[in-house]
Amino acid sequence: MTKSTRRLIGVLVFVAAAAFWLWAANALWKTSVPDDLKLPHVDMSSLLGASELHRAQHFSLILDLFGLLGLLLPLVVLALYAKWGHRLMSESAAGPIGTGMLLAMLGLALVWLATLPGNIGALWWLRRYGIEKVGYAEMVFGSWQALGFEFLSICLMILIVMGFARIMGNYWWLAGAPVFVGISLLFTFIQPYGAGLKPIEGHARLVQAEKRLAKTENVGNVPIKVENVSSQTTAPNAEAMGLGPSRRIALFDTILDGRFSEPELEFVVAHELAHHKHHDLWKGLGWFALFSFPIAYLIALATRRRGGMATPLAVPLFLFLWVALPIVTLPLDNAFSRRLEAEADWEALQVTHDPNGGKQLFLNFVRTVDENPNPPFWDPILFGSHPTEAQRIGMIEAWQQRNGG
Amino acid sequence: MNDHPVTLHVYDDLRRSRLTLFFRPLLCFPHFFWLYLWSIAVSFVLIPSYLVAFIVGRPAYSFQRFFCAYLRYITTVLAYLLIVANPFPGFLGERGKYPVELELPAEAEKQHRLSILLRIPLAIPAYMVAVIGIYAAVYPAALFAWVVALIMGRMPRGFRDLGANALRYLGQFLAYLFLVTGTYPCASPYVGISLGSAVVTDLKVEA
Repeated sequence: MTKSTRRLIGVLVFVAAAAFWLWAANALWKTSVPDDLKLPHVDMSSLLGASELHRAQHFSLILDLFGLLGLLLPLVVLALYAKWGHRLMSESAAGPIGTGMLLAMLGLALVWLATLPGNIGALWWLRRYGIEKVGYAEMVFGSWQALGFEFLSICLMILIVMGFARIMGNYWWLAGAPVFVGISLLFTFIQPYGAGLKPIEGHARLVQAEKRLAKTENVGNVPIKVENVSSQTTAPNAEAMGLGPSRRIALFDTILDGRFSEPELEFVVAHELAHHKHHDLWKGLGWFALFSFPIAYLIALATRRRGGMATPLAVPLFLFLWVALPIVTLPLDNAFSRRLEAEADWEALQVTHDPNGGKQLFLNFVRTVDENPNPPFWDPILFGSHPTEAQRIGMIEAWQQRNGG
Repeated sequence: MNDHPVTLHVYDDLRRSRLTLFFRPLLCFPHFFWLYLWSIAVSFVLIPSYLVAFIVGRPAYSFQRFFCAYLRYITTVLAYLLIVANPFPGFLGERGKYPVELELPAEAEKQHRLSILLRIPLAIPAYMVAVIGIYAAVYPAALFAWVVALIMGRMPRGFRDLGANALRYLGQFLAYLFLVTGTYPCASPYVGISLGSAVVTDLKVEA
């Protein structure tokens, strides 16, 4: 085969892969929210009051600044580590893969140190507003166990990447990316079993409502469970978890503490059921898979100059890119997530026919966690996995207009 | 007498990296996980190994090799955890790769069948010495040494030698339990240890 033929085949494969990527991304991007839906402007100060709105804006801005610090400082540290980290190879008596594991763990350790200022600052701010209850020492040292498991995970990742690189050379990403997707699938499946979920008690009406809504949304049996977090935080939340037989709806015990009315809780349950109805966890995995391949390919390309991923020399650069590239795609990931959340809100409105319950729920969210309902434009780009509360209330009003409410 | 078929060799230079030292217990996580998996395999192999040794009068060579690799590995992991050595250890328990290494009998020893039959009850006193006599002191000492080494960037020699002796005794105890040797563990700090580092040569090793 001549060089030009090989090049032609390469171009054709790339074009076919890019076309498939775009088709798949477009398929995942589509939702059941009407395309022509126009969200009306919502005057949040008239709903909340000027002082409450100001408090939420002030709170969110400072929290975002700590978030930015927590995002940028680790990146700077990892960039420096990518340049100098290989010097720590002398601290290892293990083979190439063992040394790669050590370098990856030390990189993560430095990231952990770099996130501490942002995390401590955010904790101070959240404690000031009575949202977090965790102490500073508990936050710093309590996270060591989680860090240990992160070390274990990164070692597994290095074992996979370096193992494939030693067999397949610079094509390790072709095998590595599907393995990472498979691991994510496994963790999504088993997450409900390891989350310490408890049966729901004392909310018989809500359980009945969940059964009725599940029937309406045609999602089958999805048990409703409680996650006890009230010793750590006052923030209310709920989550759709699991795949197939492990599907659950997890309600934080903080949302069941009496601050939210039954119609509001029913709206929450309908929203989470909608995630299961539209297979949003599967879609999230698909989205992750779509980005895993190009990210792994780019990493393989960039680490060639360090001798490829078969050598521990490339591990610090690998770590930097593994953290930095997903940050580059973060705006797109957040936009995707916001679309799924908006669809779940829409579905909740369709099945509950209770716009007032939904509206009160979102206002209550602002009141309980002081989240800015109208954040500055960059906030949703970097941190917005959900539509803003103003957008969510706007959707409810748009639904009311369509349905003659 | 310095003779014991299980001898610990230490070539460590007392220098310690503050970065790896600070995160030392966490850096051991993948080793703990691997050790856990390896220990499960050991527990499965142990009974067949005892049976073969009782019938033949000596352990099978394959079992001997398997246990030797496991013992070398556990020694390097504990040496790293207890700050007896500085470099991050490998995962395979290979020979000649780590500054703290357990030398074990290359060939399976012929052992008395009664001693094989009664090996577990015979090992109980050595186990008591290992747990109560040594490790109750070594772990708190290692914690103190961790703080000192973090400040100084080097390991105090006395603490290093204390840790090395604990590892030596543990290695001898496990080798006895796993039938790698028929020689009982020796509690004397001068038996079965070779401290080759120039920094620690003033620790008297009686011949």
